[in-house]
Amino acid sequence: MKIAVLLKQVPDTETKIRVKGDASGIESDGIKYIISPYDEFAIEEAIKTKEKSAPSEVIAVSLGPVRVVDAIRTALAMGADKGIHIDDCGLAMDSFVTAKVLANALKNENFDLIFTGKQAIDDDASQVSQMVAEFLNVPQLMLAEKFELGADKKSATIERSVGGGTKEVYTVEFPAVIGAEKGLNTPRYASLPGIMKAKTKPVTTLKASDLVGETKPKTTNVNFRLPPERAAGKVLQGEPEQLAQQLVKLLREEAKVI
Amino acid sequence: MEYNVNRRDVDFILKEQMHYEKLLELPAFKDYSLEMFDMVLDQALKFAQQEVAPINASSDKEGCQFDGKNVKAPKGFKELYQKFAENGFIGSDVPTTYGGQGLPFSVVMPMSEFFSGSSVAFMMYPGLTRGAAHLIETFASEELKNIYVQKMYSGQWGGTMGLTEPQAGSSVGDIKTIAEPQADGSYKIKGGKIFISSGDHDLTENIIHLVLARIPGDPEASTKGISLFVVPKIRVNKDGTLGEPNDVRTVNIEHKMGIKGSATCTLAFGDNDNCIGYLVGNRMAGMKQMFQMMNEARLLCGMQGLSIAGAAYESALAYAKVRVQGQGKTIVEWPDVRRMLMVQKATVEGLRALLYMTAFYEDMGKYHPDAEKREYYEGFADLLTPMCKSYGSDQGFRVTELAMQTYGGYGYISEYPVEQYMRDVKISSLYEGTNGIQALDLLGRKLSLRGGQVVQQFYQMIDEFVTANQNTPVLKNELSEFKKALDSVAQTAMSFMEMTGRGDFNYPMLSATNFLNMFSGVVIGYFLMEQAVIAQKN
Repeated sequence: MKIAVLLKQVPDTETKIRVKGDASGIESDGIKYIISPYDEFAIEEAIKTKEKSAPSEVIAVSLGPVRVVDAIRTALAMGADKGIHIDDCGLAMDSFVTAKVLANALKNENFDLIFTGKQAIDDDASQVSQMVAEFLNVPQLMLAEKFELGADKKSATIERSVGGGTKEVYTVEFPAVIGAEKGLNTPRYASLPGIMKAKTKPVTTLKASDLVGETKPKTTNVNFRLPPERAAGKVLQGEPEQLAQQLVKLLREEAKVI
Repeated sequence: MEYNVNRRDVDFILKEQMHYEKLLELPAFKDYSLEMFDMVLDQALKFAQQEVAPINASSDKEGCQFDGKNVKAPKGFKELYQKFAENGFIGSDVPTTYGGQGLPFSVVMPMSEFFSGSSVAFMMYPGLTRGAAHLIETFASEELKNIYVQKMYSGQWGGTMGLTEPQAGSSVGDIKTIAEPQADGSYKIKGGKIFISSGDHDLTENIIHLVLARIPGDPEASTKGISLFVVPKIRVNKDGTLGEPNDVRTVNIEHKMGIKGSATCTLAFGDNDNCIGYLVGNRMAGMKQMFQMMNEARLLCGMQGLSIAGAAYESALAYAKVRVQGQGKTIVEWPDVRRMLMVQKATVEGLRALLYMTAFYEDMGKYHPDAEKREYYEGFADLLTPMCKSYGSDQGFRVTELAMQTYGGYGYISEYPVEQYMRDVKISSLYEGTNGIQALDLLGRKLSLRGGQVVQQFYQMIDEFVTANQNTPVLKNELSEFKKALDSVAQTAMSFMEMTGRGDFNYPMLSATNFLNMFSGVVIGYFLMEQAVIAQKN
């Protein structure tokens, strides 16, 4: 089986985000990058699926500047077999262009399965995976909480929550795009032997400029700003009765929630 | 319990002070790359924070249980130990021959900081296993190596080191455990050991004790007559499978102030005259061999001081930023709290530089292709080892005290982590040779290394740094003050050597600890000044 994992490298959740002076984006200086956590679930599921369906291979794919090769190497150290780095060539990209470039890179590779995270944690757009599936004309199932490979190794059963404790259960025939939700699995660490092995695994580089064709972004970022700083909390003083009165008054008049 | 570390400071030392790319020039590490080092550190920190830190507080409350026969480690340790082993962390810095990972010690030092800062009690188990396995790997016969080493690094079997006996602590030469030669070349071990960390537990199916004992007839009451033996808890058949129990009995476990998750055992060997041991390397070479492990363990003690101090400081800093007291201010805004935090910060960062740079000197001393360079750096590592151990553990403890003070009364309460940090770090000044022993080691052995040449070369390196940077505008005054401190260390060292030269040991020995502290303070001052110069240039 041939399995792809789409990875996005995103700023570490602990990074202090600073907006550029002209509000055109965020300062990339001093940012520590990590693999988007939902994509880690995708890597783990891909490796697990490979282990259940030998002979199989897992190919980690990431689009972005050279730094994203680190994300690919981490996936290789976790157990992926090969990497494809698509250099963004500094092109203007939105979800649409990203999906187009990825789909064009993937379309001749004949993947049986493509795992992705349900969304990236930086822009939270949750669009690329679905569009990739659309461009490849294959089914997609996002928010997968459970993935069970069929006995024929050509299909899978997928579970996802639809709120209120209800689960949807799908079966899907390959090829398909699966978007990982939290809880799908517990991603393994890149072990030290894994890191040593990753060094010799091949990473191919493609150029987004060769793959983008005439596609142009459909959206543009107009402005970036940080959320307003949270004001300090208020401490109410007095007897319980007065406190209740004050609280209701504040909730009604200031917070306007009741 | 949450674990945090200032990763920026870690990277600053590795990348800008140590220049860890120099490690890649050493043939031993040619298969590595900087990206790999970074990935290793990322993964280690993640593992520490997500897997190790969560069991720290619960294991402290639960402690180890002894039912009269077997010891049970705290909940979660067994699973964690296996996971730790699977990730290749036990033998991370040893050669790949028997399943080690061959990483430089310079990279393993920060990894160890992350792990120990997350749970120093847990780290005792893999730490002891690694030390014991590496002793076998370095000194034992091929047969012993093939049987034991790989299974220890892989997490299947644990390891310990058995030196201490009730009457033989700092004076190891007084041990009474004996090893009676047998016709088949093995030995029958008889005696008792105390304070054996990881002496018994349920993390692994077997435990391999490395025991110091005396073969009858060899010199008594001296370390010269001591030999080293491999003594498995359960005997191992020739094909590596487990055989009969080996007459090793756990007598008791200690109830301690800290590192409660680490089983500290009293062990009886050969109650029934049926405890078999195997000689490691040469007869009567035991103490010399054990020193390989002791030197490493001493650096790791200093690292424990650093790691817990770092964790305590980060915890106090985070608390000070959110705790509001008086005029609606967070306490970090009050000058006295800032003072405490600054002392903690300076101490932690200074210790970190000391420990990491000593690890770097170790790597250079071991692996540099040029023999002269090897000797040069090895000397520095040897000289700094007692300072790392003693100053690291003492100052580590002091930092936890200030961290507690930063918290105010809440720091004294077990809902907050600092009181555990304080209890856990105390042991580091006591074991692996008390800090008093370290001071004597510095004075008696290390100052006179290669006839005093090592300490002179070290002085020279620092002195050249001062000369090269004395005109740096913002550091001018500091450097001139520092130079005075440096020279007074040199003068003190000279006068001690002169005194001991004419047979007057009393005064130098009385002042040994003060001298070690004074010297360490200057060494840390040097590393911090060097950082200041680097930071200023950027």
